[in-house]
Amino acid sequence: MDLEKYEKIFAQESEKYLVVLDDLLARVEKDLANRDLWSEIHGKIHSIKGMAVSLSLDKISKLSHSMESWCKEFQQGTAKATPNAVRLLFDGMELLGRLIARKGDIDSLEIQAWYERLSSRFKHDVRASKNGPKSEKPLHTSAISKPEKINHVRVNYSLIEELLGLSQEIMLLEKNFPPFSDEEISLGLRNYIDHYTSMLKGLYFRLAQLRLMSVDDFAGLFVKTIRSLAREHNKDVQFDVLGGEVQADIGLLESLREPFVHLLRNCIIHGIETQDERVERGKNAQGIIRLEAASEGNNLLIKISDDGRGISRPAIIKYLKEKKAGTDEDINRMSAEDFFNTILSTDFSSVSEATDMAGRGIGMKVVSRAIDHLGGSLIISSSASKGTEFAIKIPLSLSVIYTVTFKIGKYILSIPTLNIQNIDRMEDVSQMDMNDFCDLRGLFGVKNNGGKFYHVLKLKGPEEKSGDKKRDGKKLIVDNIIGNNQLMVMPAGELLAKAGIFAGVGIMENGDVSVLLDTDKLADL
Amino acid sequence: MEFLCFQAAGQYLGIEARYVHRVVDDGEITPVPLQSSCYMGLMYSRGDLFDVIHVGDLLGQQQAVQNENPRIILLKWAGKKLALVPDKIIGMISIKKYDKTQSVYHYADYTIQVIMPDDILKKVSEIFNGS
Repeated sequence: MDLEKYEKIFAQESEKYLVVLDDLLARVEKDLANRDLWSEIHGKIHSIKGMAVSLSLDKISKLSHSMESWCKEFQQGTAKATPNAVRLLFDGMELLGRLIARKGDIDSLEIQAWYERLSSRFKHDVRASKNGPKSEKPLHTSAISKPEKINHVRVNYSLIEELLGLSQEIMLLEKNFPPFSDEEISLGLRNYIDHYTSMLKGLYFRLAQLRLMSVDDFAGLFVKTIRSLAREHNKDVQFDVLGGEVQADIGLLESLREPFVHLLRNCIIHGIETQDERVERGKNAQGIIRLEAASEGNNLLIKISDDGRGISRPAIIKYLKEKKAGTDEDINRMSAEDFFNTILSTDFSSVSEATDMAGRGIGMKVVSRAIDHLGGSLIISSSASKGTEFAIKIPLSLSVIYTVTFKIGKYILSIPTLNIQNIDRMEDVSQMDMNDFCDLRGLFGVKNNGGKFYHVLKLKGPEEKSGDKKRDGKKLIVDNIIGNNQLMVMPAGELLAKAGIFAGVGIMENGDVSVLLDTDKLADL
Repeated sequence: MEFLCFQAAGQYLGIEARYVHRVVDDGEITPVPLQSSCYMGLMYSRGDLFDVIHVGDLLGQQQAVQNENPRIILLKWAGKKLALVPDKIIGMISIKKYDKTQSVYHYADYTIQVIMPDDILKKVSEIFNGS
């Protein structure tokens, strides 16, 4: 038997199970009595054990067996799950991961000690935590989770890029299609080619959307880090995600990964108090770190907040006085935003304020640089004993929105459908009062080609959009409407941004490019 | 060192091969309003958007050569992207004794000015800023 081949398959399969387990344990941590979740967890660990047994990987099979026995108790309700029990399972899962990577070998004293400690804990705790009779059923007949539905696959991002490239190349073939006359090509063949091309464009458009990742999945990347850090610093932390359904480009989220590690680390180490400290202050022993996401126009808003001790004002005042020669008057005049942004200064040392600020500034420069690089902004707000919030606003590098796309002269332009009140058709605009109009034709230098049929787009007024009192929006005369369709929007880029009226660049379903107009800027024209 | 050599505004220019992402001859350029004359528009290629610059026009060529289907040089470097439309692409050349302090080289019958993508972008930005 080609053992190496099977070991490789085992490692790959187990890795997938561990990823799923990580998610399941995070979910059950918030819903300890959910027996369905425990059943799924049990099933996954059992699968790892089964494979390990067949490959005679004793350490892995023994550890997974003891973890599995424990889950079975929670699944059957014969023992009551506690947050500590879940933490121990997380620990066991981490050790399983290490052992799987080492083909079951314990190659260091540290892992040996870890293995022994956990094996003993699992054996001991499963008895201690029982609150009912132990199941008489033998392990091998225990309920295995129902066959799982595969609804996620892991794909390397570079493969998506490659597929996008290939599909775009194929689309370009259409543009180079020889100009056959009706005599040279049958109607049937032409229809077939048109249909084929249209399907291909749809495929490309959807493929491009694979570059989007939900904030939920992004937040999932930090669960393990938060748990490890909290445990290491003797903190009890709950991690909440709001707006997890918001989607953003993987590239953008990848750029935020490192800054977020810094922010979350700061929240855990320096923001959230120890359990005793929190109880003394009348707070819940468990601290909360919240990641809240929302999309606002073409921006992604992400807030990371904690309900900890807040940033120490005296430490910032001390820094401003000592390093920036600030007077009390100067400091009092500072806005809250400027005041707290002080912690982004490169020379904001955490050493002298180690007990006061406890290093709140560490890594903050990394955070602000990364956000600057993405063209975003960071606002820090904090309140003593109540907590700290980092509000990040970043232009979305990729989003999909509905837009009305139209032509003015040779230019293809779009406006978000949400910003349009109505579209009228005008036979002749020469008699209209042009004061109500935003003259884009004139602005773009597009000559009147004598065409008599125009469309008029009426935009919603600024107040109207925000739901307050109504005010008429601008009207735009456009040559013809291309459609009301989904548009994949990317940022306008440095050069286009200088024009001041573009909010982004969009890719249409047929692969054509359109420029997205900034309706707020149009209102000012 | 390898350079992609091209002609624009009567000059021979070379750009280091590591900055050249691709050369395409079937790219579709979408015109954009309110831009300077050297800005030909936007090009979307393989998930990336490129600002397309006519090099001859950028260098002050009075009557820019306008090809209907120009070959376009796509540059990607340090997270930045730019597409260049030259009058003509000469090809890849190898300069053996490359010295960073020197920008003009003689290769075969050509006198080649080596340019950096950041310098092109800076020049384009200056035009956009009206300086």
